[in-house]
Amino acid sequence: MFRSLLRANVARSAMISQGPVRFYSPSNLSKTAISSRVIDVIKSFNKTDASSSNPTEITMESSFKKDLGLDSLDTVELIVAMEEEFSIEIPDKVADELTSVAQTVDYIKDHTDAS
Amino acid sequence: MSSVPVPTRRQVLALYKQFIKNSNQFNNYNFRQYFLRKSRSTFKESADLKDTVQVTNMFNEAKKELGILKRQAVISQMYTFDKTVVEPTLKLNHTQ
Amino acid sequence: MFGRSLVRLPRVVPSNVGLRPSVWSSKIRSGNLSRCYSAAAAEAVKLDEGISIETHTDIQAAAKEQANVRSNDSEAIKSGNTALNHAYQENTGFGTRPIYLDMQATTPTDPRVLDTMLKYYTGLYGNPHSNTHAYGWETNKSVEEAREHVAKVINANAKEIIFTSGATESNNMVLKGVPRFYKKTKKHIITTRTEHKCVLEAARSMINEGFEVTFLGVDSNGLIDVNELENAIRPDTCLVSVMAVNNEIGVIQPIKQIGEICKKHKVYFHTDCAQAYGKIPIDVNDMNIDLMSISSHKIYGPKGIGALYVRRRPRIRLEPLLSGGGQERGLRSGTLAPPLVTGFGEAARLMLQEFDNDQNYISRLSNKLISGLLSLDHATLNGSPNHHYPGCINVSFAYVEGESLLMALRDIALSSGSACTSASLEPSYVLHALGKDDALAHSSIRFGIGRFTTEEEVDYVIKAIQERVKFLRELSPLWEMVQEGIDLDSIEWSGH
Repeated sequence: MFRSLLRANVARSAMISQGPVRFYSPSNLSKTAISSRVIDVIKSFNKTDASSSNPTEITMESSFKKDLGLDSLDTVELIVAMEEEFSIEIPDKVADELTSVAQTVDYIKDHTDAS
Repeated sequence: MSSVPVPTRRQVLALYKQFIKNSNQFNNYNFRQYFLRKSRSTFKESADLKDTVQVTNMFNEAKKELGILKRQAVISQMYTFDKTVVEPTLKLNHTQ
Repeated sequence: MFGRSLVRLPRVVPSNVGLRPSVWSSKIRSGNLSRCYSAAAAEAVKLDEGISIETHTDIQAAAKEQANVRSNDSEAIKSGNTALNHAYQENTGFGTRPIYLDMQATTPTDPRVLDTMLKYYTGLYGNPHSNTHAYGWETNKSVEEAREHVAKVINANAKEIIFTSGATESNNMVLKGVPRFYKKTKKHIITTRTEHKCVLEAARSMINEGFEVTFLGVDSNGLIDVNELENAIRPDTCLVSVMAVNNEIGVIQPIKQIGEICKKHKVYFHTDCAQAYGKIPIDVNDMNIDLMSISSHKIYGPKGIGALYVRRRPRIRLEPLLSGGGQERGLRSGTLAPPLVTGFGEAARLMLQEFDNDQNYISRLSNKLISGLLSLDHATLNGSPNHHYPGCINVSFAYVEGESLLMALRDIALSSGSACTSASLEPSYVLHALGKDDALAHSSIRFGIGRFTTEEEVDYVIKAIQERVKFLRELSPLWEMVQEGIDLDSIEWSGH
């Protein structure tokens, strides 16, 4: 009876110790797959001009600020949406420097185990 | 209070990120939408604040509120109820 | 991510060991808990053995049953209801819980309020009236802070706030306590016909104690005539009680003018502010209010608590309903409930803090909803459009039976009147007082908008009401006649 509880504890601690360790490896996803998903996230993000009646075309070169009209707070929200889409965590330091679609795609491609 | 350093731009943005992430965690649709809306408007309104004392006060106040948000988001996930009729039950997501 | 890992509980009891707590076992066997509506959502809250810790509601079970019946059953049922079926969004990947639009009945508890309250259900459990130790001191301090918050909203002094169990108790305290205290010289009470039931019933019970009560009528907009009120005041009048915002139609009475008249004639003025407190600007000094009933659960606070404002200068005397230890200035004996009091205080503080935001937001949604609903033919807004709290909208849909409309709107939580009277099929006495006939009173629905209502919900409601009112009218012979241009009033109905 108690053994089973013990086992459960062991299992739990193993789980926890695994938690913070991240294996950063290039993503298995293809670049085109990532870019189309990134663009989809931007499209469904209701603050961009892209979701208005007269949508701006989103290309790899689109800049969040200049082309999509996002301010710094909007960009933070967009990054959160990306994190949720790809189940990743983008550190603040990196997020600060992501200013365009292409940069975001490259980051996801190179630095994460996105799925 | 004056001894507390004025928060940097990056610190404010990082705090905003926490607000958005934790608001998103609410299982209850109405609370989730409210806190997202509230976080946005509060940060947008104070985006133009220049006075360092005011900025510092807002920042500290917001940190306290973040604590509430974190706790309540967790509680919202512990006691969950059915989705409402305006809420999609399946997340439109590419991930399988 | 952080939250998710917290809810995913580790396996504690392997499935082959009979260690399950007995309370759970019956549930597990019934297989009820294995149901899940979405793989993603269920994953987050599932134990290893497939036991979901989702809290299922009766509504979902009922709706599922309904859906099953419909999908398995004969063509006859389907063909009759296709329009409604279509409108329900059943099995289309959306949830089943109705949209909550009954904010006048009660409001959801704000998570920030709950966060304040939980401390007093865990560590801070002292009796606020214990003055011999720290447990009592700390809760007493919090209770007094809450009292400050409650008072601040109406520009009162904290000492003038008496905590009660709710607005019903506050109303009873005033309607019974004030006349009883002054019964030697005063014999008359004035109130209105559109008050909440508890005021009307309390006033009626005073008739049995030998008092006279004048029930003032209202005009077709739901407003009282202040001249009529002034004329009704007699030398032996002790109390005027007029509600600030009506709970059924949202009409705002001219409180400031009434206050002036009462002051001029030296009559105590009580106002039931259950629906108004924190939602419209109120200043007890500017408006000459002597007594005011307040409810916590209408302002996103906990249920089971409210307050009574009792002016101290000049002092208002009233006979308490309860005898006991003399808490709350001797007016309301009994130990205060610190979780409820502090929750109420936080709710009041938030009402003040969020006043402008809430006001703008609710007005915007309200305008959208009103214009959407009134775009239907023969739909009318009840009550004055100018003296109106935007969060309470009462609309009549002529040629539709109200109860069948409510039945067709199971995906929206609405009421045809106040929660206290909706158990009976009797049409609203408030709408009667406005001069509406039975049929129109029956086809009226109240929509309540609050802090947590979303624009998406309002859009859904507009669409749903438009579709279903049209659908029900198609079934109505009266509507057919109206379409043909027959004046219904000219018809002589044959009696049986």
